[in-house]
Amino acid sequence: MSLERRNIDIEPAMTDLRSRTLSRLPGDFSRLVYLASSRDLSTGRYSHDGLAFHFSETVASKAMAACHTEVFDRLLFCSLEELIEELGKYISSTEVRPGDVLRSWKHLGSYRVTIPLECDEMAAEVFLSNVKIALAILQRRHESVLQDEQSA
Amino acid sequence: MSQLLPYLFLGLLLFAVLAWWVWDTIVHRAAAEVLAPHRSRVKSVASHRDLGERIFGPEDWDFVSRETSWEIHRMFQRERTVLAISWLRRTRLQVSQVMRAHLAVAQKSEDLKLTTEIRLAMSYLLFLVLCNSLIGWIRLLGPVRARKIVGQTLQWAAQLRGAFEQLMARVDPESCGVVGPNFNRGTVRS
Repeated sequence: MSLERRNIDIEPAMTDLRSRTLSRLPGDFSRLVYLASSRDLSTGRYSHDGLAFHFSETVASKAMAACHTEVFDRLLFCSLEELIEELGKYISSTEVRPGDVLRSWKHLGSYRVTIPLECDEMAAEVFLSNVKIALAILQRRHESVLQDEQSA
Repeated sequence: MSQLLPYLFLGLLLFAVLAWWVWDTIVHRAAAEVLAPHRSRVKSVASHRDLGERIFGPEDWDFVSRETSWEIHRMFQRERTVLAISWLRRTRLQVSQVMRAHLAVAQKSEDLKLTTEIRLAMSYLLFLVLCNSLIGWIRLLGPVRARKIVGQTLQWAAQLRGAFEQLMARVDPESCGVVGPNFNRGTVRS
C-alpha cells in the first residue's frame, strides 16, 4: 500500500485528533509528550479510546503515529529559541514545580521516549541534542530567577 | 639521492593515509551496514539535507551567543560538533554507497571509458580526503567556523553524485535509483 493511499485512509482520523485533542494542548511540546505517552512502549502501538470508537483501533493508532511524526518534525526544524519557548509552555502546563521537571528531565533523560518509532537516527540525534541544550538554558534561567527572588 | 628520501617518505605516508581512508570508508562501513541492515530501512522523517541546514544554520548560534552564558556556549559548541561530525560521516557513507554501486555495475559493463573512470576515482578520493579533513577541522574549530567550507564541500559532493548518476545511467539504467531523495545536495547556508 502506498504512503499516499495510507494517508488518505487515516486523514479523517488525523483531522479529528488534531481538532478535538491536540489543539487543546498548550504547544507542540505538550502534544509531543501526549502522543508519546499514548504509545505502548512494548508494541509501539498508540491507543485513543474516542478515536478508536469513531474509526478503528488500527486507524486510530496509525493516525496518532502520523501526528506524532508531524509534531516531531515541527519541533525538529524550529529554532532553538522556539524550542525553549515550547518546552517552557509544557513545563508551565504541568502541575509540578518547574525546577523539579527540569531536574528530572535532565538527569533521567525522560525526553528520549518522545521520539517517534519511524524516525531517522540522525533526526533523533539532532532533536535530543537540541532538547538537552534547551533544558540547560531553561535551568539557568530558572536558577537566576530563584536567585533574584532570594536576594529581593 | 639522500635528499629525496624525505619526499619519498612523505609520499609513502600520504599514500598510506589515503589507502587507509579508502579502506575505512568502503570496506569497513560496508561491513557495518551488512551487520546493521535495519538502520537503512528506517523510514526517514527529515531529509538529510534539511538536517545539515539545521546543524550548520547560523540562527541557533546567534541566539546562544546573544542570550546565554559562556558555559552554554561551550555546551552548544560541543553538542553541535558531535552532530556535525556524525552528519559528515553519514554524507561520506552515502557517497561511498554510490561509489560501491557504481563499481559493482562498472565491473559488468563493456562500455567503460577509462579516462572518465579515472577522473571519477580521483574525485572520489579527493572527496574522502576533504571530508576527513573537514571532520578534523570541525573538531579543532567547531562547526560554526567551518560552516562555509562544509557548504562548498557538499556542493562538490552533489556534483560528484550527479556525475556518478550520469555514468550509472549510461552503464546500467536499471540501478540508477541507488541513492534515495534524501541525499544531500550541498545547500548548507553560510
